[in-house]
Amino acid sequence: MKSIPLRVRTRAAKSKKHSVQAIVAALFALLVIAASAYTFLVLKHDPTLTDLRGRLLGASTLHPLGTDHLGRDVLTRLLLGGGQTLGYSLLALGAALVIGIPFGIVAGYKRGWVDKLFMRIADGFLAFPDTIVAIVLSGLLGAGIGNLVLAIVIVKWVSYARLVRSTVLSESQKDYIRIARTNGLSDARIMTKHLLPHIAGHVLVLASLDLGKIILLISSLSYIGLGAQPPTPEWGAMLNDSRPYFQSRPELMVYPGLAIVSVVLLANMLGDYLRDRFDVKKEVQP
Amino acid sequence: MILSIEELSIAGQGRTIVDNVSLAVREGEFMALVGQSGSGKSLLSQSIGQLLPPNLHASGRILFEGSNLLERTSKEMRALRGSRISYIFQDYQGAFTPFRSIGGHFDEYQKVHGEKSSAVRKTKAAAALESVGLDAALLRRYPFQLSGGQLQRAAIATSLLLSPRLLIADEATTALDSVSGHRVLELLVAKQKETGCAILFITHDWRHVRRYANRLSVMKEGRIVESGGKHRILDHPQHEYTRNLIDAAPVLSRSLKSGLEEESR
Repeated sequence: MKSIPLRVRTRAAKSKKHSVQAIVAALFALLVIAASAYTFLVLKHDPTLTDLRGRLLGASTLHPLGTDHLGRDVLTRLLLGGGQTLGYSLLALGAALVIGIPFGIVAGYKRGWVDKLFMRIADGFLAFPDTIVAIVLSGLLGAGIGNLVLAIVIVKWVSYARLVRSTVLSESQKDYIRIARTNGLSDARIMTKHLLPHIAGHVLVLASLDLGKIILLISSLSYIGLGAQPPTPEWGAMLNDSRPYFQSRPELMVYPGLAIVSVVLLANMLGDYLRDRFDVKKEVQP
Repeated sequence: MILSIEELSIAGQGRTIVDNVSLAVREGEFMALVGQSGSGKSLLSQSIGQLLPPNLHASGRILFEGSNLLERTSKEMRALRGSRISYIFQDYQGAFTPFRSIGGHFDEYQKVHGEKSSAVRKTKAAAALESVGLDAALLRRYPFQLSGGQLQRAAIATSLLLSPRLLIADEATTALDSVSGHRVLELLVAKQKETGCAILFITHDWRHVRRYANRLSVMKEGRIVESGGKHRILDHPQHEYTRNLIDAAPVLSRSLKSGLEEESR
């Protein structure tokens, strides 16, 4: 008797949480769209044009967030940097998924030596914290955003492969997989048609939670000079560029910092939301 | 003789689990393989479809329609499984992939076994569901939207979909209550009458054997201790173990153990 009202309440609380999240996300999106429209359609600044006479200017109608130490428009660079940071993060995430998922499915389904080999490799990768591995790799490969993305992929695919493997391992014990086999389906078909859709939900949740971490990783490595190279606008690099002017113009560091924080928060909200969504589905099903 | 197992042994990691077993299933008969848990009967059934876990190895001969299944490649076996030989297991709830519709399963099985026309596949799927007493509209539903009884029937319909010659029912009624168990078996027997397929029924439940089987084999610790016609074994068991098993099973009505009426005095 008790559990029924309790569940209703949690679901109501969940949907309230979701609507708050949705409003926050929508406001943020509106803000970004409005700022982008104004910047790229009205102001049309060149993000890399240096103008030393107009450096470190305060906010004005021409430069809503002022200019940086080389006289470039901060708002333009902030918005373009968002594209860079998000784009490369998504690229890294996508590549990690493309490598990790098939690896995990095959290891979990085939087991035996394939699995053992995979687990040893994964253990090796997991022995080091990702940030350090990314620093070492991008240091070895040379600074640059491409190499940074590669380093992140190398670090991140393992966690997806492991998650997928463990899910597949438990799923393939279940009768529907056994029955698919006894009905003459090939292993490849079982893996792509019967296991892959099942794990997609789990992976999606982890991936959206990870997005924030990857954004942070790209920004922080760009901050120490291993990621995006000047004059590419990138949040981490922008933070680094404005470091010497912290005393006189602290807002130059605050803008990219705020941008990173809000995007990471939004990514986490998305992950949170997706996780709740999948929970609800499970609640309703039986 | 549709299936003839000759001197089959299954071993793994220095242990022989099924030891030199010979067993035959005749065309169109209801053959029961009875034994306690752990006697190796399920492994025996898995070895027929080359479905043994990779750490176990089968030796001997399994002749199906005259050719040795143990020598077939895995690709040939795939073509055979689901079309000529099919299985039914005890867990009907988990028999269907959760996020695929019932119709999706029917469609896929026909597709991998070479039915190219999607119209034919649809008609056949609807006919298969209707033949087990379900509405063809269920094809569009998902497994969690069906009741337990509907899932049972649908699972049996998938197994019979491509008219197999041999149906292996591995503890198919074990997880069910007595009434549902009988309902499943009634359905199997009715379908058997229609299609003429042979059934290898693996169980430890004497009630079902008594009612439905034509012949039976008793298995103990990896060996067959006794084989023969149902009435012969149930009423005149030769082996001590069979006698113990039969005596251990509850009998309600006052009749012979094989279900024959006792002659009135």
